[in-house]
Amino acid sequence: MKKLLWLALCLVVLPAAAAIDGTQILQKVDRNLEPESYETYRKLIDIQPDGSKKEYVLYTLKKGRDKLVALFLSPASDKGRSTLRIGDNMWLYIPDVGRPIRITSLQSVTGSVFNNADILRVDYTAEYNVESVEEQKDTYILSLKAKTGEVAYDRLKMWVDKQLLLPVTIEAYAASGLLLKTLRFKDIKDFGGGIKRPATLETDSPLYKGYKSVMLWSALKKATFPDEIFTLNYLPRVQELRK
Amino acid sequence: MSLSRGSWAGWSLLFLLAAAHASAAEEYSFDASAFEKKPFEIGGYLQLKQEDFALNRSGAFYKLGNYNQPQRDSLDRTTETMELIGKVRQGIGTFDFHTHSDMQRDQLAHDHTNLLYEGVYSIRPDPGVTMEAGKRTLRWGKGYAWNPIGFVERPKDPNDPELSREGLVMANSDLIFNREGPLQTIAFTPVLLPVGKDVNSDFGAPGHLNPAAKLYLLYRDTDIDFAWQGQGSRPGRFGMDFARNVTSNFEIHGEWARIQQFARPVTDSAGRVTTEVGNATSYLLGLRYLTEKDTTYIAEYYRNATGYSDQEARQFYQLVDTAFAQLQQTGGSALLPKALSLSQGSYGRPNPGKDYLYFRAQQKDALGIVYFQPSITAMMNLQDLSYQVTPEFLYTGVKNLDLRLRLFMLRGATLTDFGEKQNSRKLEFYARYYF
Repeated sequence: MKKLLWLALCLVVLPAAAAIDGTQILQKVDRNLEPESYETYRKLIDIQPDGSKKEYVLYTLKKGRDKLVALFLSPASDKGRSTLRIGDNMWLYIPDVGRPIRITSLQSVTGSVFNNADILRVDYTAEYNVESVEEQKDTYILSLKAKTGEVAYDRLKMWVDKQLLLPVTIEAYAASGLLLKTLRFKDIKDFGGGIKRPATLETDSPLYKGYKSVMLWSALKKATFPDEIFTLNYLPRVQELRK
Repeated sequence: MSLSRGSWAGWSLLFLLAAAHASAAEEYSFDASAFEKKPFEIGGYLQLKQEDFALNRSGAFYKLGNYNQPQRDSLDRTTETMELIGKVRQGIGTFDFHTHSDMQRDQLAHDHTNLLYEGVYSIRPDPGVTMEAGKRTLRWGKGYAWNPIGFVERPKDPNDPELSREGLVMANSDLIFNREGPLQTIAFTPVLLPVGKDVNSDFGAPGHLNPAAKLYLLYRDTDIDFAWQGQGSRPGRFGMDFARNVTSNFEIHGEWARIQQFARPVTDSAGRVTTEVGNATSYLLGLRYLTEKDTTYIAEYYRNATGYSDQEARQFYQLVDTAFAQLQQTGGSALLPKALSLSQGSYGRPNPGKDYLYFRAQQKDALGIVYFQPSITAMMNLQDLSYQVTPEFLYTGVKNLDLRLRLFMLRGATLTDFGEKQNSRKLEFYARYYF
């Protein structure tokens, strides 16, 4: 009888375990974090070891899996700067320079612990393949590998809340295995329109001991945009899209 | 030692306040409503700049600029600058303006400037269509220090490539098409630029409505521009540029331009000026590389076909020497007006030579200080091997305040590009406050 029970249990549990599909989980994480196309306002706070802070406010638009524009609204020294990302291509437009220059994912347009890949983040599934999934009591642990050498982090280790299918913690590693930074998602908030996700992201890095950067979201909502907005020629005019 | 009830209450209150402060420090809030678009916006900056020049009294450009002044070894200049940048919105139309005002004082002169850098009305009937008329600064090309295809703009200062510049009066349009496939973006920018006695008079010969255009393509992750300017106030010209990220931390770029029937005045050491007319092909190749330790390297080679070879420049410097030798011996010189006139033209450009190398290395967050960026820039005339080296310190850690200190050191033998400049050294400091 015991053997029969074990067999029945195995028949029920094994297919369920085998059905854990890391790619599906990552796709759901992408969509639970943001709609595929959206607009939002973000505040970036850089905190130095002495507690002093520098804050930036960005207006951000995303379309599809890998097109994103971010416009600096504050502070005055950075107002009007805008950045564009299409896939692995990134550009920065500085009003005084007057023309977009190519930037790289490892640089930081703000000079914070967040680099351009964090600030102009596109869908995780656009950049990473899932190598393995580990199931724990409350979380899945996804091991992600960059699809190309263009991606800022070679590997990510992502802890995903099993119930909400939202990331809790992400560790970002270089190809050498060096831990570059840890990202912590906090403060689940209902933004309306069916969007419920963390409103705060904190990061620190062993490379910048004592420094911390925080990203806050506000007014995140679904939106549709014409493709022409995600072009270099449109960068000087992105601020006209705000309501 | 015992603590009274009062002192315990005091310590408790202090502890609570400290805890509350610590807790508040960890909690963040953000309300985006303060950042909604407004019908009128204005901002800008105030800047105070101090420059100390060590004058190169044997240099050709010192002599030409100071022959009728008391002779001196140094000069201290203070410049106050205010730039206002704003916009007024109504319906599908926007009026953008950018003003520049400065006041300069040194031991020789007081001067002030008030300029409208930009003042342009734009309408956008569709996200892919923009039409503009007014004074606008267009910047074409991918080069950091130089732009051979910058056909419809005032020249860039290679010592300060990111400085704002005065625009030109024009009508222009921007048409953007996006598509799927390897050719992702096509953007076309036609321009009409009038030149008259009072409009764009420094662009070229008056009485022309100069057409120009740029076609931008994003093709297989490479930026490509084709640029053209029709014959009119200036000789006709065309060119192209490209930029591409080879890896996530390595970018390459280049420009190529041909000016048709370009007239180049060339002097010999006796002041006989001939005008050489021919096609001039200039080009630039550059790279930008970011290391794991956040050091950025920028390097560019610039072939300036409109410039002067080592031998040609040497003739001009010899002309200046001869003119001043005559002035000293006889009290007058027939060659001096010629030399002065040439120095105000193409011989007096910031980079009048034919071959230049530009190199810049900048370190982010150096010495563990966030927002502290030291850098070093070098520019060399590859024909006469004269050069300029500029160490620089930039600190942007205080909100809306930039502090920059630079030291220009120019080196070169006599009769060379950097050896004949007006100063041999310049220390520059500015504080710029944005509002």
